[in-house]
Amino acid sequence: MTITSPPSRTARRPSRRAPLAGIGHFLAFGAPGLLLYLGLVLVPVIMSVRSSLTDENPLHRSTRYTGLANYRELLGDPAFHRALGNTVIVTAIVVVVPNVLGLGVAILLDRRGRLYHALRAVFFTPVVLSSVVVSVIWQALLTDDGMVNSLLRSAGVDHPPGWLSDPSIALYSVASIIAWQMLGFCVVVYLAGLQGVPPELHEAAALDGAGAGGRFRHVTWPMLAPAVTINTVMLLITAFKAYDHIQVITNGGPGDGTTATIAFSVVTTAFTGNRIGYAAAMSTVMLALVAAISVLALRFLQRREVNL
Amino acid sequence: MSRRRYGLAAAAAGAVLVLAATGCTAGGSGSSSAGSGGRPVLTFLTFETPNLDAKYWDAAIARASAKVPGVKIKKLVAPSADRNGYVKQLAASGQLPDLMISVNPDGLAQSGKLTAWSAADLADYVSPNANPIGGKIYQLPYNTQPTPLVYYNKDLFAKAGITATPATYQQFLDDCAKLKSKSIDPIIVGGGGKDTFADGYPDIAAVGTDVYRARPNWLAERRSGKRSFTDPAFVGALKKVQDLAAKGYIDKSGLSRDYAATEQAFRDGKGAMYPMGSWFAASADAKKPGFGVGVFPWPSDDGKTVVPAYTGGGMSVSSTAPDVPLAKKWAKAFMEDKANLDASVRADGSIIAIRGYTPPAGMGPVYRATDALYQDAAKRHALVNSFTVETGDTGLVPGVSDRLWAGTADLISGRTTADELAKNLDTEWAKDTK
Repeated sequence: MTITSPPSRTARRPSRRAPLAGIGHFLAFGAPGLLLYLGLVLVPVIMSVRSSLTDENPLHRSTRYTGLANYRELLGDPAFHRALGNTVIVTAIVVVVPNVLGLGVAILLDRRGRLYHALRAVFFTPVVLSSVVVSVIWQALLTDDGMVNSLLRSAGVDHPPGWLSDPSIALYSVASIIAWQMLGFCVVVYLAGLQGVPPELHEAAALDGAGAGGRFRHVTWPMLAPAVTINTVMLLITAFKAYDHIQVITNGGPGDGTTATIAFSVVTTAFTGNRIGYAAAMSTVMLALVAAISVLALRFLQRREVNL
Repeated sequence: MSRRRYGLAAAAAGAVLVLAATGCTAGGSGSSSAGSGGRPVLTFLTFETPNLDAKYWDAAIARASAKVPGVKIKKLVAPSADRNGYVKQLAASGQLPDLMISVNPDGLAQSGKLTAWSAADLADYVSPNANPIGGKIYQLPYNTQPTPLVYYNKDLFAKAGITATPATYQQFLDDCAKLKSKSIDPIIVGGGGKDTFADGYPDIAAVGTDVYRARPNWLAERRSGKRSFTDPAFVGALKKVQDLAAKGYIDKSGLSRDYAATEQAFRDGKGAMYPMGSWFAASADAKKPGFGVGVFPWPSDDGKTVVPAYTGGGMSVSSTAPDVPLAKKWAKAFMEDKANLDASVRADGSIIAIRGYTPPAGMGPVYRATDALYQDAAKRHALVNSFTVETGDTGLVPGVSDRLWAGTADLISGRTTADELAKNLDTEWAKDTK
C-alpha cells in the first residue's frame, strides 16, 4: 500500500523544514553513537598512529618525532616476526576449529526437546564466561601436574605432554582454549542459520532423490552462507586480538615469546619495555592487517552469499 | 520537547557519555578528589599473594587510617604479582596511584612522577640510603628480605641419606645427585601462567654467590657500561643453572606452574629444595607442611656464606597526589605502625629494618631459622644485593628482568644456552635504554 499526501499548503511545510528535521533526527539518534565511536575508537587510533612516529616513553620527560624509524625497526625485529607468526597460527586454529566443530554441534543440536535446549545452554556457557576465568581454569587443568596429566598418568601414559611447559606445544594449547571458548558462539549462529532454512527446500530436494549428504551440500550449506560470514569475521577479529588468555595462561612463554602474539607484544613492549612509540607502531601494523584481512574475508564470503 | 531541543539534548547526552568514558580515571590526579565530607581520597596500589591477601591489606589500611584521620583510602589491587608493569600502565594512562607499596621506583622517579623522602622522614630507618635514585630515596626501606634462600624438605633429605645441609657448591651437587637417585626432584622452580618470574630464583642465587660476592657493584658497573652480561663471571653463573637443568636437578615441569602452585608443589613433597625469598618462612610456619622445613643459603664454590638480600619494599608517594604532605604522613603511618609491622612479619616473614623494632613473640621455627641465618650473614659482612630485585641506581633497567625470566625458562628447557641468554640480555638492555 502506498500513501500519498495531497499537494496542500500544510503538506508542503514539512518539506521546507526537512533539512532541520533531518539534523534533529541525526542529533537524536546518530550523534551519541558517532561521538562514542569518535571518542573511543577513531581518536585513540589517530593518537596511536601519531605516537608510532615518535620515541614516546612514559618515563621520559620529552618525546621526539622519529618519523618511520619504528616501522623500519619492526622490519628487522625477530621478536615481532615471531609474534606475527604466532598470531597467524592462533588465527588459523581459532577460525577453523570453532567453525567446523560449531557447525557439527549445531547440526546435532538442531532438534526439539528439553535435552537439546539444555545442551545449547551448556555449549554457550563458555562464551559468556570471562576469558580470565576460563584461562585460570584451563591453566590449572593443563599444568604438568594438573588434572589432565594426572588422568593420562593413571591411564598408563608415563610421560604426558607438557601442554603449557613445552614450547613446541604451548601455542597450540592456548589457541585451542580460545577456540573452545568461541565454539558456543559459532554453535548459536549456525543453529540460527539452520533454523532459518525453509523445510520445503529439504522436502523438494528429498523428492528429487537427494540423500542426507546431498541435501546438506545443495541446500543447508549454501543457506548457511551468512552464518559462515558472521562466524569467520568474528573469529578473525577475536584471534587477532588474542591477549588476555595468553597473559593469564603463559605470559607469552614458556621461554622467550613462544606464545606471544602481536597484541601481547604490544602490551609488553609498551608497559614492560616502556617503548610506547614502538608498541604503537606494532599496533598500527596489526590494525592494518586486521582491517585488510577482514575486508578480504568479508568480500569473499559476501560474494558467496550474493551467488546464492 | 520540540524535535530540535530533543536533538540537542541527545547530542549533549552523547557528549557527556564520551567525556565520561574517556575522562574517567582511577587514580592519580585524575581521580583523587575530595570525598564525602571534604576528605581527600587517595588511591593506594596493593598486590595480593598467598601470604598477603585482601584481609591483610584491609586491616593494615584501617590501622593507618585510624592514625591519620581526614583521609579516605581507595584500595587498588594489581592484577598479578607484577605490580611494576601495572603501575607503568596506570602511569601511561594518567592514572598513577597516589600511594603504592613495593613498586620499583626506577623510571617513575626520574620522570618526576614520585616525591622523594627526606632525611627526617628516614631518620628511624636502619638503611636510610637504600636504593637511591640520583641520590634521593623514593621508597621507604622498611624491611629486608633475603632472596633467595634454599628451603628444604627435611624428610626427603633424610630419605636420600643426606644428614647435613651442603656448605659448598660441590656438596650441593652431590646432594642433588643423591636425591635424584631416589627419584626425588631435587629443586622446585615455577614460572607458569602469569608468574614467569618464579623460575628466576636459581639465577639470583648463582649471580649473588658467583658475581656479586667478588664485585658487589657489578650491576652499577653494568649500568655505566664497564661490564656486560657476557662477562665470564655472569655467564658462569647462568651456566650453573643450565647445568642443574641439564642434569635433571631442576624440575622442568615447574615451568607450567604459577607462583602459588609452585609453593604448593613444595608443600606436597614434589621436590626437595625450594629456592625462594624469606617470605616463604611465614607461610611455612603459618600452614605447616606435613614435613620439617629447613633453610640454608645457596652454597658458594668455596663454602663461604653469601646471602643475597634486598632492603626496601615500602611505600612510594606520587608527586601528583592531591595532598602530598598528607599522603606521606599516611604512608609513614602505614609503614611504621607496630601492629602493621607485626602483621607483615607474621604474614610475609619480613625482617623489619626500622630502629627499635622487635618481632612479635612466638614466631615459628622457619622464620627464626631464616632470621638467624640473615643476622649471621650480616655479622660476617656476607650480604650482597639480590640480582633483579634490587632497584634504584644499581638496579636493572626496566624490561631486562622480564627477558631474563623468559630466557631462564629456555635455559631450563634446553632451548638456549647461558652464552646466548647473556647476549640477549645485552641486546635487551640496549633496546630499553634507547
